[in-house]
Amino acid sequence: MISDWIPVVLFYAFAGVLLASALAVITVRNSVYAALLLVLAFFSAAALWMLLEAEFLAITLVLVYVGAVMVLFLFVVMMLDVKSREKHALGGYGKVAIAVAVAMLLEMVMLFAGKLAAGLPETSLTRHAADYSNVRALAEELFTRYVFPFELAAVLLLVAIVAAILLTLRRRPDFKHLDPARQIAVKASDRMRVIKMPAEPQSSGDDK
Amino acid sequence: MFGWSDLVTALPEIIVLSMACLVLLVGLVLKPEKDGLLVSLTMLTLVFAALVTLRDHLGAEAFVAREAFNGAFVRDTFGDVLKLFMYMVMAAVVVFAKQYLRNRSLFKGEYFSLALFALVGMMVMVSGNNLVTLYLGLELLALSSYALVAFDRNHLKATEAAVKYFVLGALASGMLLYGLSMVYGAAGSLQLQNIAQAAATQPDARLLILGLVFVLVGVAFKLGAAPFHMWVPDVYTGAPTATTALIASAPKLAAFGLAVRLLGEGLGPLQIHWQSMVAILAVLSIVIGNLFAIQQTNIKRLFAYSTISHIGFMLLGFVGGADGFAAAMFYIITYALMAAGGFGLLIVLSGKGVEVENIEDLKGLNQRNGWLAFLMLLIIASMAGFPPLVGFVSKLWVLKAALDAGYLGLTIIAVIFAVIGAFYYLRVIKVMYFDDAQTDEAIVASVDARFFLNVLAIAQLALVLLTPMLLDVCSSAIAAL
Amino acid sequence: MSLSHYLIVAGVLFVIGLAGLFANRRNILIMLMSIELMLLAVNTNFVAFSSYLNDISGQVFVFFILTVAAAEAAIGLAILVVLFRNRRSLDVEQLDTLKG
Repeated sequence: MISDWIPVVLFYAFAGVLLASALAVITVRNSVYAALLLVLAFFSAAALWMLLEAEFLAITLVLVYVGAVMVLFLFVVMMLDVKSREKHALGGYGKVAIAVAVAMLLEMVMLFAGKLAAGLPETSLTRHAADYSNVRALAEELFTRYVFPFELAAVLLLVAIVAAILLTLRRRPDFKHLDPARQIAVKASDRMRVIKMPAEPQSSGDDK
Repeated sequence: MFGWSDLVTALPEIIVLSMACLVLLVGLVLKPEKDGLLVSLTMLTLVFAALVTLRDHLGAEAFVAREAFNGAFVRDTFGDVLKLFMYMVMAAVVVFAKQYLRNRSLFKGEYFSLALFALVGMMVMVSGNNLVTLYLGLELLALSSYALVAFDRNHLKATEAAVKYFVLGALASGMLLYGLSMVYGAAGSLQLQNIAQAAATQPDARLLILGLVFVLVGVAFKLGAAPFHMWVPDVYTGAPTATTALIASAPKLAAFGLAVRLLGEGLGPLQIHWQSMVAILAVLSIVIGNLFAIQQTNIKRLFAYSTISHIGFMLLGFVGGADGFAAAMFYIITYALMAAGGFGLLIVLSGKGVEVENIEDLKGLNQRNGWLAFLMLLIIASMAGFPPLVGFVSKLWVLKAALDAGYLGLTIIAVIFAVIGAFYYLRVIKVMYFDDAQTDEAIVASVDARFFLNVLAIAQLALVLLTPMLLDVCSSAIAAL
Repeated sequence: MSLSHYLIVAGVLFVIGLAGLFANRRNILIMLMSIELMLLAVNTNFVAFSSYLNDISGQVFVFFILTVAAAEAAIGLAILVVLFRNRRSLDVEQLDTLKG
């Protein structure tokens, strides 16, 4: 059946792109390329999540990561104007690290494909009916059983805002700021004053 | 959904959180000359939260542990005991920070607000009842700490420390999460009770054990246990001393709480698997902490390596079952008090424009101020584990727990290195008492800072008398888990 | 497609992130990106388990990890900006003021 093959082909395609772009992220020299490749990696991961029927999270990943976090990354790359130096990305302990990583990789693959595969919980994915809503299922859990963590996540974002502003906001004394509150509060009488004064005696220029 | 009873159960957290927001707002509008109000508000928060936490335990009917928010949160004796000590240590740290920040014109409302946010994170870490809550508490503490380390943003060392702390902290979180994902996959639930059940019943727990390894690495990173201790010395040295005092004291209690929740409560049935791994972490921490401390000339770095060895001793308790957990809890509580006192003294000694960084800077402290030197003596001797101070008693209890569990070799190594460790503490004492002072500048300490220094140092003596009581509290807290 | 396929992909991704973190000698931005890769691997793990166990709570966890990771990225980048202002470089090898 051709329809059985479609998910398999899609899985290998997206997984391949994901891993290739992830590998490229850590090896390319240019930080801008790395950021863009990371976008590609996130995008392929979102596609994989789609295959797993986690639609809401897949879309959130694209919106939040590709849309917001990666833009932040690119913004910082551009703002800091990091000089890309002509030097191989992986130096120093690079070779040792790669050797360790390859060893770990092989072990993990063997573990998941071999010994662990038998102990894994389920082997077939439960496909939901067409009227199943992933968003509804997620929301129901989020706002009932996980409402306490939900509030905590809000606090966490507040801390992130406070910390980011605290660390990067600089008020330079020599800068002239506009203060909207003061601009709005201004009254006509502050700007112009009509002064009553006695008329000055007519003085003619040729008064001698 | 949640109701009134859920909110009442989590009242201490809610109080601290609301006050953190209030302090943040007040800090924005307050005139600089009235900024003492921020410290008063923070202290008020801590006192109030302590009263609310205590209230349920002092009532007529016996305290019963209860869950709230559909099992996301649990209020039990274990969490409440740790929280009470957190409030106390934080109060001391806040008072020390006031003086430190004023002297360096770093005094801002955000510092106290972030400290309270960090406290909320710690409180959640010790009372989370599922993996999500525990993780969010951990991250709340971590994110606030990164900002507090980088607080002095024009200072190169502090920034560098913040970068290291951030990268290694994020790595630790990644490891922990990878482990938690395996645990979730094997247990099919995020609730600690269900995980314990699954761990007890599953015949083939390979996936769980794989998860356990990663969880253990993550927790060891956060605790600062060797060989995952690389960040500790750099962050302790680079951070402003006020922040070092903060991250060296109360968060250790929280990390201990997290470790007990994850390893003891959730993965308790796998104890035979994690016991040997924890034993290795303990030995490595004790050996590395004590050996590297000997060659340090910077006192903050010395304290950092001493922390590593103390964490090693605390982990020794983990191998000894329920009694061991109680001994470890007693150990970490007394250590948090010592650490706050030690760094508090460094803050008081570094006045305006002077930074006490090297052991040399303590020269002749006895001539300059005999009482402060005596307090420092009490704290350092307690860290070294000299009798009759509480540091000796707490070491004795964890060693006994390890010995009872049959870890004879481990105990012997720990004792040998504790003796080696005593050497570098003695060096500090010698410098304080037998070397000549290089300056005769008077040491200025505010009344409240002196009060907390006295309390923390005298506690090293007084807690010895209270040991049976405190140990009892710890054992009953562990037994009720 | 079985669960172990997804777990292998996530495992490989995690190791790539880890290798990027340790082998990187260039700049800290790449380190932050490696951390993002590790978290992506963790999330993929959770989503895969959640779908195969037919239990939604794994996806709830992913929701929170995404939130935390975004907050973490914001603070991390803020710290980097501060570092860059102080030292004019993001080179990993130059982070050597603290030694001992």
